[in-house]
Amino acid sequence: MVDLAATFEENAMEASAMVWRCERSPLALRKAVGLAAHKARGIVLSEPEFLGESLIAGLRGLAGFIPRPDDDQLATADAGVTEAFAGVASTGSVCVALGRPLVSATSLLMPLNIVLLARERIVARPRDLFDPDCLKGEGLKRNLVFITGPSATADMGPLVHGVHGPHRLLVLLLE
Amino acid sequence: MAETEQKPAGVGVHVDRPRDVANKSDKDRLLRAIRMTLDIESLTVRANTQHFNRGRYRAVAELPDYDALKDQARQIKEKSIANLPELIQILKSSIRAHGGHVFVATTAEDACRYILDVCHWRAAKLVVKGKSITSEEIRLNHILERDGIEVVESDLAEFILQLADEQPSHFLAPALHYSRERITALFKRKFKTDLALDTGEELTRFARERLRDKFLYADVGITGANLIAADTGTLMLVESEGNIRLASFLPPVHIAIAGIEKIIPTRQEMVPFLDLLSASAVGQKMSVYTSFLSPPLTDPPFALPGKPSKPREFHLVLIDNGRMQMREDPVFKEALNCIRCGACLNSCANFQTVGGHAFGGETYSGGIGGSWEAGTSKLENARFSELCTGCTRCVNQCPVRIDIPWLNENLAQRLNQKELSATLRSAMGSVTGAAPEDRSAPIAKIFFGNYHYFAKWGTRFSSISNLISGDAKKRHTDPEGEVKETVSPARLVMERWLGLDHRRALPAFPKQTLVQAARQLAVPSSKGRDTKVVIFADVFTNYGMANRGVATIEVLRALGADVVISESVPEGRAALSQGMIATAKQHARRAALELDSHVSDGRDIVVVEPSSLSMLRRDFSHLLDSKERFERFRSRAFEPVEYVVRMLAKSGRTPQQVFDISKSKVGYRLFFHAHCQQKTIGCEEPTLALFRELGFDVVTSNVECCGMAGSFGYKKDFYDLSMAVGADLFGQIVQQDRNGGARQLVASGTSCTEQLHAGFDRSVVHPMEILASLLEIQESTAKLEEEDKELESDVASLKRGRKEESKS
Repeated sequence: MVDLAATFEENAMEASAMVWRCERSPLALRKAVGLAAHKARGIVLSEPEFLGESLIAGLRGLAGFIPRPDDDQLATADAGVTEAFAGVASTGSVCVALGRPLVSATSLLMPLNIVLLARERIVARPRDLFDPDCLKGEGLKRNLVFITGPSATADMGPLVHGVHGPHRLLVLLLE
Repeated sequence: MAETEQKPAGVGVHVDRPRDVANKSDKDRLLRAIRMTLDIESLTVRANTQHFNRGRYRAVAELPDYDALKDQARQIKEKSIANLPELIQILKSSIRAHGGHVFVATTAEDACRYILDVCHWRAAKLVVKGKSITSEEIRLNHILERDGIEVVESDLAEFILQLADEQPSHFLAPALHYSRERITALFKRKFKTDLALDTGEELTRFARERLRDKFLYADVGITGANLIAADTGTLMLVESEGNIRLASFLPPVHIAIAGIEKIIPTRQEMVPFLDLLSASAVGQKMSVYTSFLSPPLTDPPFALPGKPSKPREFHLVLIDNGRMQMREDPVFKEALNCIRCGACLNSCANFQTVGGHAFGGETYSGGIGGSWEAGTSKLENARFSELCTGCTRCVNQCPVRIDIPWLNENLAQRLNQKELSATLRSAMGSVTGAAPEDRSAPIAKIFFGNYHYFAKWGTRFSSISNLISGDAKKRHTDPEGEVKETVSPARLVMERWLGLDHRRALPAFPKQTLVQAARQLAVPSSKGRDTKVVIFADVFTNYGMANRGVATIEVLRALGADVVISESVPEGRAALSQGMIATAKQHARRAALELDSHVSDGRDIVVVEPSSLSMLRRDFSHLLDSKERFERFRSRAFEPVEYVVRMLAKSGRTPQQVFDISKSKVGYRLFFHAHCQQKTIGCEEPTLALFRELGFDVVTSNVECCGMAGSFGYKKDFYDLSMAVGADLFGQIVQQDRNGGARQLVASGTSCTEQLHAGFDRSVVHPMEILASLLEIQESTAKLEEEDKELESDVASLKRGRKEESKS
């Protein structure tokens, strides 16, 4: 039996993402996000869809949390917290479903993107998300972005992370 | 003046700017572009393309179902192109159902006009663009800027090119020809800044800071699309930087521009491309961002202070601009399958050396670029496709299995036919037997395409022809006692009329052809020899390197094969390489006819020259009349060492039982360079495996091609490029030599051998020549004769026994 979480972790790190394993409790999550974004002047949270409000609620109390950010705040915040629709083991990608408020912004505009990924939502290959039987076939209907590491370019000579998108991508793998 | 950090041109020497030589409808601009890129861009292009190429080899090796994915992707694309008109209608409905707008532009002008109108309706002042090669094709920036709209390229490579006013040199990495140092110089000059910009991070930060506000305040975002699903109107957008996501998310108006060939039936059918695209393009399991969007997005658009909030709007501009005509063309329809991954560019030795500013036109580049440039502008603009040598290294790398060399051979044919026919050419074509359709080709092409004709006469009068074509340079002492070199008049004439560069040593014509030499060999009895072989006396071996063919015959006979030799007839390789397809068909049919009786006799075909073998295994599919005819020869044609390995396996003997490595006259350390087409048809591995099993220490090159590529390196127009490509191979040999001394050079291809001779004053042998030297021929022959005698005596005693039985 292949350990999808372990494969995901290995491939995500190969793609220059950071992966922290985190207990699925409000306290552990709050601690992990707080640690990752400890110097952040502004933290923005996208509206949760899969993990449940009770797990996320604690994040709203973090220092620097912006409850209802206007666009100016979005453009200048330091960290965005995004919930993942799925993870892909073979590529180390997180898959984000767009549509809910602030999902696009938190996964794109801030230098640090923290993605919350539930272990049971990791699939083996990207193609699995296009299977009507996988995750209720939502992958075939939704606007999705597969994110594999922080934004990058090799156009300026050597590979540089942090171009127009986040400089750092941290995946909190919720056990 | 272009930036010239890598290799400064001499003072006063004119250096072309890439834009000056972007359109290569005349040959002079192509040659100037080659000089420009070799002087300025080559080192960086080489480093970057080879980096991508290595990454791709690694990434596709990790895809467990790579070949199946390629088949799926190919089928989806073929089906999509076949049903394109219907898919366009379905897509229109899907996009409109989401509240988006669709415009199908017949021409580039139509597309630009529509986009300009959208910008006018929305009072757009600032447009931010993601990377889109299609927008380059329609010259969109120019049209928008002429109307006073600020257009900002946000992809960092496009940002560099916009500053430098250059066209892309690669589909995927448009500024791949820019080194970090050149970017620093460009930024400092354009932005008049003293900021430290000496690292990739500093340059990236500098660009990002200038671009972020543009995104936030842009009125319109323009992107391309990698694929579009008709059933849902979903765009597949692949990128690394995040600028395409920003351009589709931040501004209120999103315009996506795509060629109609990007449409596929369903979103689910995007799946094989998910795996294939990133692996083939950048050698990654997946690019940083792969988006599946059915716009318009539901998130409200950004509204910063001072920027009024506007509703989201989405426009899809589908571009025909010649594609429907390409779809009707039996050959160029093939190019519509392209998914623009760039794998063919990165695996092409010529492209690795000069990039798309020489091997490319105003928009499209590389081997596949010629068909696109011809299809979307005009045929003459595809003249750069002459840099496709037909080495075929791109063929196996293409994730949708496009036969790119075949496209370029057809382009060459159409360009040949556009030439004004002249009496001399026509006469030369007639004398050499070129097909009437090919007689308007330039004289040099008629010469190279009918090489068998000249080789036959050259060999017949070898002492005279070798005298004429021999030493290109004559030394003489001038009245002041200084030794000077002049080019021989004969070589000057050949250079002027046949395009043969005088710097290239020409192979000597042998006194005896392979066919003549083979007929003088002692022929062992065919009794007991079940394996029957015909050696195809290809033109290059027959008239150039007969000893390789003789060695092959000796080895196969020693292994117990019944070997005969065919007549030497051209099989079409030479003609095909010059775009003389009608002539190539004649030659292929003639070769097939020559081999027919041998195959009917149960013989396998062994071909010494890899490019000739590749004709039988690959190109005959285009040249013979039916698939059955092609299959008849494909399935029975073998490379010599490949065949030796098969015979050993069949007989159950080990290589050591046949070949004695202690007899080696070339030592035990070999440097083996496989021919490019040999690699494509999978015939490199048997040689490596057999020699290693015999105990040789074999290293091999990892270059895609040596640069000679048949006649390419002989041509005066391309000699410098050929040698620049060869430099990689030469460098690898020198590197290996440093580690333990010089190795014996081994090459399977005739032209590779000539290229190695140009780089090294050392012998180059064919693998079969080494194997022949390891045979104990006399013992083998004696043993075979002994076996024959035993067999005869057995048969005789059997007959006697039967007679006695019948008497009793």
